[in-house]
Amino acid sequence: MALFEIFDPKAPPRPIGIDLGTTNSLVAYVKSERPTVIVDCDLEALVPSVVLYEPGGGVVVGRRAASLAAEYPRDAIVSVKRFMGRGADDPETRRLGPYEFVSAAPGESNTVRFKVAGERVVTPVEVSADILRALKAQAEDELRNVGGAVITVPAYFDDAQRQATKDAARLAGLEVLRLLNEPTAAALAYGLEKKQNGTFAVYDLGGGTFDVTLLVLDDGVFQVRSTGGDSQLGGDDMDRAIAHELLAALGFDPARQTPQLVRLVLDEARKAKHALTTQGEVQAVVPGHVPVTVRRERFEDLIRPLLERTGTACRRALKDASLKPADIDGVILVGGATRVPAVRKYVAELFQREPLADIDPDQVVALGAAVQAELLAGVGQRDDVLLLDVIPLSLGIEVGGGVVDKILPRNSTTPSRARATYTTQEDNQTGFEVHVLQGEREMVDQNRSLARFTLKGIPPMPAGMARLEITFEVDADGLLGVHAKELTTGIEQTVSVKPSYGLDDAAVEQMLLDAFDHGEEDLERRRLAENRVDAHRILVATRKALEADADLLDSGERVRIEEACAALEEAARGESASVLHARVEGLDDATKAFAGRRMNRAIAYAIEGRRVEAVEKSVEHAKGVEEAHVTPR
Amino acid sequence: MDPFATLGIPRTFTVDLPALEKTHRELSRALHPDRYVDAGATERRAALSKAVEVNEAWRIVRDPIRRADALLALAGVATGEEARSTASPEFLMEMLEQREALAEAKQARDLEAVRKMATSVEAQAAEVERALGEGFAAGKAQELAGKLAELRFYRRFLDEVSLIEDELAA
Repeated sequence: MALFEIFDPKAPPRPIGIDLGTTNSLVAYVKSERPTVIVDCDLEALVPSVVLYEPGGGVVVGRRAASLAAEYPRDAIVSVKRFMGRGADDPETRRLGPYEFVSAAPGESNTVRFKVAGERVVTPVEVSADILRALKAQAEDELRNVGGAVITVPAYFDDAQRQATKDAARLAGLEVLRLLNEPTAAALAYGLEKKQNGTFAVYDLGGGTFDVTLLVLDDGVFQVRSTGGDSQLGGDDMDRAIAHELLAALGFDPARQTPQLVRLVLDEARKAKHALTTQGEVQAVVPGHVPVTVRRERFEDLIRPLLERTGTACRRALKDASLKPADIDGVILVGGATRVPAVRKYVAELFQREPLADIDPDQVVALGAAVQAELLAGVGQRDDVLLLDVIPLSLGIEVGGGVVDKILPRNSTTPSRARATYTTQEDNQTGFEVHVLQGEREMVDQNRSLARFTLKGIPPMPAGMARLEITFEVDADGLLGVHAKELTTGIEQTVSVKPSYGLDDAAVEQMLLDAFDHGEEDLERRRLAENRVDAHRILVATRKALEADADLLDSGERVRIEEACAALEEAARGESASVLHARVEGLDDATKAFAGRRMNRAIAYAIEGRRVEAVEKSVEHAKGVEEAHVTPR
Repeated sequence: MDPFATLGIPRTFTVDLPALEKTHRELSRALHPDRYVDAGATERRAALSKAVEVNEAWRIVRDPIRRADALLALAGVATGEEARSTASPEFLMEMLEQREALAEAKQARDLEAVRKMATSVEAQAAEVERALGEGFAAGKAQELAGKLAELRFYRRFLDEVSLIEDELAA
């Protein structure tokens, strides 16, 4: 716990970008127009994603935790990202590793639970929150007051993994401006550097995940055409391949490996991998055992199947984007594992060109996240930059016979929405079970189950009479909300998809309350300060809009808006957060019709390519149509 | 919703996709929620709902099956579940045989044979797309539900091929 309050209300809040990596994490911000990573007191930028839980409740994050991991293999959680959003019974959680797991009590969610420091139980979301807290503290040392954060996730993360990441950020007390896909963040960092239009491939092989993203860069718009990957493939797997080799060479019986030994061997394997980047062979020494020679050729044979898996994903992404390797203007390498020479060689052959790696592959994601944070916090000057991302995996629901009906296909641009209509199979059916799935396979059991809920209370009707409309909505974070409505009766139900593998909202709220040692009053003061910043921002935006599109207003409307502005200004000088909030809503209300007209004008400009007469005509038309629909209140 | 109107193009099956991609990008530039981070809640909501509509329209229009489906719906022809069964029995028989041949090639891990079948089905799909383009241009939407059903079968076949390719390559 900090001894003094670091939050300084007088310092302007600064947005940050966080790369929450499998092996290492980083935090960055934009310092006089250049994205810059924030270093710790030892001038180190990389924070090892390791959390050590000590007896007595102490939590150690980063390099010290990593150095103690071999001594306390069960209490030091390494590569926690691989467990995010996964079930306790997932094969991924049962791979080579030193941890002790606790099974869920009846009624508890099916999330992974680690037993640490004797009796404490922590979930991957809590472990990740501890890493994020450490990064936030590191940023606060430099910036005094941290605003919102953009947190990166692998493009191929599914909905449960994204939700878990967002929960971890909330638990760490961070306002999430956006969950940003890692390859897109990297492209942003490169694109702004190179100022070059074209089609690019981002090959991102991190510690535990692989992503490939193909995108078009066109005058500041980064449009993702397709993405693919494997959220269980990375540098860790290279370490494991070497570790199995070492264990076999030393003659260990796999059934009799202690957690200490497993951790030591994995660490030694990682060191060997690093050494083989520059050397032809290396002596791996597990303390207390004879050295084992690992040759680069042998290492390359061991990782060949891993590389082939990345190749499959790349070919699929090319096909989805209707592109051939020759269409690609540049390949960007991201992630520490792309330092392995065999990886670079493989990528060069796959895309038939030498990849770019001139921005440090460990830092590029955090740098891109910092740029996006600046844009989203509304303090950046670059209103020419925009990211258009996609969902990585198709979303659908279960229909008869255990088959998945895909409602929103993969590579749909976010934010997005799709609807489908279904009917009852049986007479007098009064409930519909809705089973939400994510993945590409035809059968339910081969896809990821995200949520189940039942739409109840439908009056008895013959089979095929009821009409159930399912709406999927995916926001700019790539997170899914599902809405079900029975059309003949209007019975509705909305769920945000989450409980299966994470913590439900109530659990997160409770942890947040437990974590806050400030009183209610502090929270209230902070809220007022934040509301004032918001109010100021909205006033500036409204005045800009009034100036730009004055011709879209009649005089009465203009007066009402100006009155609402004045009222808001007055409230911003006052001390009541609730009055301020009400006045913000009042201004929103007053500008409703105006906002709609401005939007139609924006659309007309975009479609008509700024041909003046056409624009004016369609604006007149839009105004007429809209006025016809607005009833006076 | 009329996705063609949203994107400001006429209701035709034949579309200029590269030009439309550009239009979609320009609309996104104008409407994406990230452009409205400074705005009040009303304007943000208005932008978000338009951005969602534009993305939905683009998703429909860029894909021949969804595009044809939308044109049929706008012409008042039954689509969706009902339309899926309107392919002729001869066609269904033929598809059944092709799926069996595909399953056999998968069993034998014969990637060459799988790719050969895919090429042939791709050609058939292109032919159906051409026929759809002509049919819609001639105002014969009423007669096209069967053609669309065929295209759906080809699509599913090609999706299966792509999964098999991944499996056999691994």
